[in-house]
Amino acid sequence: MSSRHGLRDNRAELVAASVSGQIAPVRIHTEVLPVDREGRWRVLPASGGIALGVHAGDPVHALEGDHLMAGVSIEDSGNQPAVAGPLHLLSCVGNRVRNGRGEPIGIVAGKRGGLAPGFWAPQLVGVEVPDRLSEALTPEERIVVETLGRGLQLLDWPDIALSNLSPKGLDLLPLHPADSLTCDVAAIVPPETAGPGVGQDAWIGDLEITSERCLAGATDGLRYGDLVAFADTDSRSGRFFSPGRTSIGIVSHGPALAPGHGIGITIFLTGPTERLVPRIGEGSLGPALRSWAKNLED
Amino acid sequence: MATSTLHTNADRLVRTRLKAQILPAAANRVAGPDGVLQILAGQGGVVTGIPLGSPAGDWLGDHVEPGASLGHPDASANMAIRLLSCAGNPVTVLDGPASGARGMVYGKHGAVLASFAQEALARLAPGEWVAVDACGVGLSVPAISDLVCHSCSPELLGRISSLEDRVLAVKVAAILPAIAAAAGIGMPAAMFNMDMNTSAPPIAELAAHLRFGDLVAVLDQDHRTARTYRKGWAMVGVVSHGHTVGGGHGFGLMTLLTAPTDRFRFEVDAEANVSRALPLAGEERI
Repeated sequence: MSSRHGLRDNRAELVAASVSGQIAPVRIHTEVLPVDREGRWRVLPASGGIALGVHAGDPVHALEGDHLMAGVSIEDSGNQPAVAGPLHLLSCVGNRVRNGRGEPIGIVAGKRGGLAPGFWAPQLVGVEVPDRLSEALTPEERIVVETLGRGLQLLDWPDIALSNLSPKGLDLLPLHPADSLTCDVAAIVPPETAGPGVGQDAWIGDLEITSERCLAGATDGLRYGDLVAFADTDSRSGRFFSPGRTSIGIVSHGPALAPGHGIGITIFLTGPTERLVPRIGEGSLGPALRSWAKNLED
Repeated sequence: MATSTLHTNADRLVRTRLKAQILPAAANRVAGPDGVLQILAGQGGVVTGIPLGSPAGDWLGDHVEPGASLGHPDASANMAIRLLSCAGNPVTVLDGPASGARGMVYGKHGAVLASFAQEALARLAPGEWVAVDACGVGLSVPAISDLVCHSCSPELLGRISSLEDRVLAVKVAAILPAIAAAAGIGMPAAMFNMDMNTSAPPIAELAAHLRFGDLVAVLDQDHRTARTYRKGWAMVGVVSHGHTVGGGHGFGLMTLLTAPTDRFRFEVDAEANVSRALPLAGEERI
């Protein structure tokens, strides 16, 4: 089978597994001192819960949030909030999410976490949900993710690794295959700007942008769902500085107060620099994820 | 250049006795970039045979912490140990076969790390208790008001630095560029440590000679609150844990000092090591 772009992939072999979890409660994590870049004590809506009226495609700087994810934040239930369980590990962008009554409510749009999985919470999955549905949801409510995507490969591009991406998510990506695989993005950032998420597993959470320095494009106008490339970064199994490799992912959460934190990128693609080429252009999944979530029976 | 005695606020610092427990050892399940899975000795426990001053990259472990790793089963008491312990603070074993043995805090990872003479380490085990006489939180140098100290006892600061025309002269074993900074960015600088990109060039070469306890400077790093990149700032830290298998991890550097770069004058000295600055009784020099 092949993607919308005509890229042959192994989607026919993937396992679809329904995994249950819960809408994450809002938590304040006291292990992190709530101090901003000027040393001021500041607390803003941050981790978990339901961000009412915040959607894929909205600008991340529009609201006073701290690591804010659009829509509904979900997590594994029955685990400590620091632990990324099957829901977190198997969820991929583009997976459908349903409530406890079996009614579809939204589409997985990103992940947050990975600072130190196992002892540092949270490990969240973000879900794009239309307003008419999110108004009826409450934290700790049971949800089910129809997971599919772990193991997805591009058969003719074996040196480009995919992660956190469902076949439908792959179809949404603005990819242009030629001698190299070009992907439209909104910004390309240097490896020194990679912060929390470095050194953690590719399938957990995100990699944060800790400064405004860009190699191309800009981060100040980023929107939930935009695509961003990290130069010289390997994300095949862990995320780390690696000259000659490029990683591309999706804006999953907004800016952060604490020094060394910033906009979160959940990584989709990683490959050799000459094979995977980010290009500044219409690099966003935001509008598509938002309109798809409004037509969940598709 | 006028060199003056380093004047600090040490006479105003509180000395607090903390009780800490030696933590269990971890066996880390790690996959290298080649995909080969291994189980290696990890963080925690009592690590013998690797005194401070030993090469940090020579051991087949993952995040190995020489000496004893300290914590507390009560979360709040553990937070106090993590935040108040400072490099150079004395540690005394309270129970078990090594009762009475004296050691010293030298670094931090998830736990607080203490070095002991090898003969004491040989009799220590996880679960035994120690006392840490913690002192150093709040340390400042009035002549350099934008210098921030973390996890640094006044005794250590006095041994590793001097004041030259309102600039802090510090001997370090290496001066590394900002791309050295890896896992630990964004975490509180007063706790834990920052791994270095010691598995990738150029840091792999620049850091290859480093030893446990070495003092290292990293440029364009601001470690006043949470660790972050900031052009024109620098940090000085102590190599606290060793080689790691996964990318984005490497030798762990506990933050000691941070300030605008022009407040420092770094001199590269291969002997710049906490065990040289504050030798333990009974321990061989590096």
